[in-house]
Amino acid sequence: MISNLHDFLYEYFSIHECDVILENETEMTIRLTRELDQVLMNRPFYWHYMDKIGRNGEPMSLFLDTSTAKKDNKKEWIHYGSPRLQQIFHHIKQSARFTMLYEQTTGNDKTALHPWLVANIVVHYHGKQKKEAIHSIGLHLINGMMKSNMMNEIDRLPLESKMSDYSFTISPLIKPLSGFYRIFMYIEQLISSESKEWVKDAMTALNEELSLLDHFFKQQEGNQEIFAKEKEQLTERLEPRIDIEVVNAGIFYLTENFS
Amino acid sequence: MQIPISRDESFLTEFEQAIESPTHWANWQLFKQAYQVAETMKVTSFKELVAPKFLPHINFLPHQLQCAENVIQDMNGRALLADEVGLGKTIEAGLILKEYMLRGLVQKVLILVPASLVNQWAIELNQKLLIPAVTSGKRVDWQHTNILITTLDTAKSAKHREQILEQDYDFVIVDEAHKLKNHKTKNFQFVQQLSKKYCLLLTATPVQNKLTDIFNLVSLLKPGYLGTYNDFTQQYRKEKRDIDKDPYLKQLISKVMVRNRRADTGIDWTKRNIETVWVAFSEEELATYQQVEQFFQYQTAISSITYIREFCSSREACYLSIKKAFEQKENVDIPALKEVLTSIEQLPHHAKALKLVELIKESDEKFIVFTEYRATQIYLQWLLNKENIATVIYRGGFKKGKKDWMRQLFQNHAQVMIATEAAGEGINLQFCHHLVNYDLPWNPMRLEQRIGRIHRFGQENDVKIYNFALKDTVDEHVMNLLYKKIQLFENVIGDLEQILSDLNLPAIEKEVEKIFAESQSIGESKIKLDNLTAVINSHHHHNQTKENIR
Repeated sequence: MISNLHDFLYEYFSIHECDVILENETEMTIRLTRELDQVLMNRPFYWHYMDKIGRNGEPMSLFLDTSTAKKDNKKEWIHYGSPRLQQIFHHIKQSARFTMLYEQTTGNDKTALHPWLVANIVVHYHGKQKKEAIHSIGLHLINGMMKSNMMNEIDRLPLESKMSDYSFTISPLIKPLSGFYRIFMYIEQLISSESKEWVKDAMTALNEELSLLDHFFKQQEGNQEIFAKEKEQLTERLEPRIDIEVVNAGIFYLTENFS
Repeated sequence: MQIPISRDESFLTEFEQAIESPTHWANWQLFKQAYQVAETMKVTSFKELVAPKFLPHINFLPHQLQCAENVIQDMNGRALLADEVGLGKTIEAGLILKEYMLRGLVQKVLILVPASLVNQWAIELNQKLLIPAVTSGKRVDWQHTNILITTLDTAKSAKHREQILEQDYDFVIVDEAHKLKNHKTKNFQFVQQLSKKYCLLLTATPVQNKLTDIFNLVSLLKPGYLGTYNDFTQQYRKEKRDIDKDPYLKQLISKVMVRNRRADTGIDWTKRNIETVWVAFSEEELATYQQVEQFFQYQTAISSITYIREFCSSREACYLSIKKAFEQKENVDIPALKEVLTSIEQLPHHAKALKLVELIKESDEKFIVFTEYRATQIYLQWLLNKENIATVIYRGGFKKGKKDWMRQLFQNHAQVMIATEAAGEGINLQFCHHLVNYDLPWNPMRLEQRIGRIHRFGQENDVKIYNFALKDTVDEHVMNLLYKKIQLFENVIGDLEQILSDLNLPAIEKEVEKIFAESQSIGESKIKLDNLTAVINSHHHHNQTKENIR
């Protein structure tokens, strides 16, 4: 969970190597990099033109205010549900889908790093309404051990994209692909043990809507096109189904201390 | 039953490729952020809304949450919100919009509201619901602005219409849905043509069991269900079916309409205490009153009603309007006219105005005073200021910056706000709980609009309403025959709205005016007013036993 949006955004812009000036607890000025300008500012023609005439171009700055009340300070007000934040969330999601990370070790002893597949998964339940469940699963790719709540478990570990000098990795016995299938099966098992009340509700609602639709359209021969379209939309909206979506996943090499 | 489960297979393919090339790897911080985003935006339950969690500063009322849940869960975001006045339709609509935005289902939004409410909407959405909505200014960019508040008239004008119809809106709100009652109008056709995924229509006037109303409503929200207007009406007429008894139609309507009544909200409303303040004209004033009445009766073919009404409000209102009316006219008995004007000029302060001063001086509380006339408004301000009572004035025609400023001045500095009718909608003054109807509107709905400014959510005190009425004048008849008979002050107005539009009497004001104007004597107008209130009353009793569509 994001506990403080201001800190979260500061971290986001810092990760992307922007200069951030924190004015106070809610206001910040961000000098974007070219990369983020292209992601956030929606001016492809400008960059296209700059490239064409061989110039570097000037990335824009963002002036954000994260306070819960809108102030008249000419800053862009950013908060949950605002298009800007949706855009940033979307960018994060797009750019952080895969990773390969190594736990950092100190000292001169040779340390073995064990391969884990970490997958963060959202289960979407579509019925009359929508519900989501999030599973963070870690799978030991040697012995097949599975851990739930994995992100919390490894939250504090020093993880980097490069291996420490004296570490070495052990090759996985389980291929990542079959690792994913194990994880999917585990989640499907969880799902099958859950209450199915929502499925019944959704079916009842769907049948109700469909009979209403039938009733009104059976008298109208000329309107079969709308009828078919409406029927399709109703079914798509109400027919119960489950999507298992992977938010992001990666191979994590962790010391034996972690298990 | 077997629920179809789909696995994210495409991720696996991408993962296999990505894991070969380090350029695709996220660092640890970013990887964590993506997980945090998913956790934060997660929809945790089928029923519960996500939005209230992100709006901890708003105390949503149970019926408001219920309404938003209904619209989102059962109506797929296409509905008519027909709550009674003052139950927070704006908040409900805003909450629904917020919910869709948080779920990432809505980005582009068009909000069509009456001109007088544009600013109010912008404030509610921005400050309360934290939705970055902007109002359409002179240079408006329909294409690149995500959330725009404007009026139906602006939107459908030749200048903007084409561009707006080119946009694909995720969400359209129409807060003047009563303007969509006729499917042949440009308004209706414009809204119908808008490309929209979700759509909320807001109205305080309930939908009737009338074929046209139902057809129009359903056609906007569930296109095609009822076929063409002609087919639909013909069929119902031919088969002589009662809409009330058609279970399918009833069900269909229940899928597009939400109507909360105050009584159903389960909320402890603060009380509404109403006092009629009878004022007697001085002898001079009464004599002039009769003089004005007689002048019109004997000297002109014009009905006196407008002028004596004005006279009951202030000398100024009456004087100015008589002068204006006769400036261009010939064939008027000039000496008689001069006589009338002179005797108005010579009058001392108006009895009602003096009573107002007395009432306000007795109290330290804030008062909002409503009058029908601008001349009276200015006169009252002058008089109160002379008595060292701090006042602000408020008119519908003020620019929005000035309106906000006046409201703030009233809240922080002045004791009295003097408002004309046009201010009746669009300003919320919960911090004030004394209201003076300095003159009574002849349309009870307008009275409710006025009271609704202070007697609404957020009002913590019982509300005190003072209705001023002059004895032995037209005021007295209106008060006794119209207001007292309908027991308006005791009933919540929601019922009245229903009745007036059931009886096809939306223009009750005109009705009353006609009665006074066409009647030869006071006795006759009494009888006619009596008839009018009798009709309203009988319908009211009838209705109490019979529930509306739902």
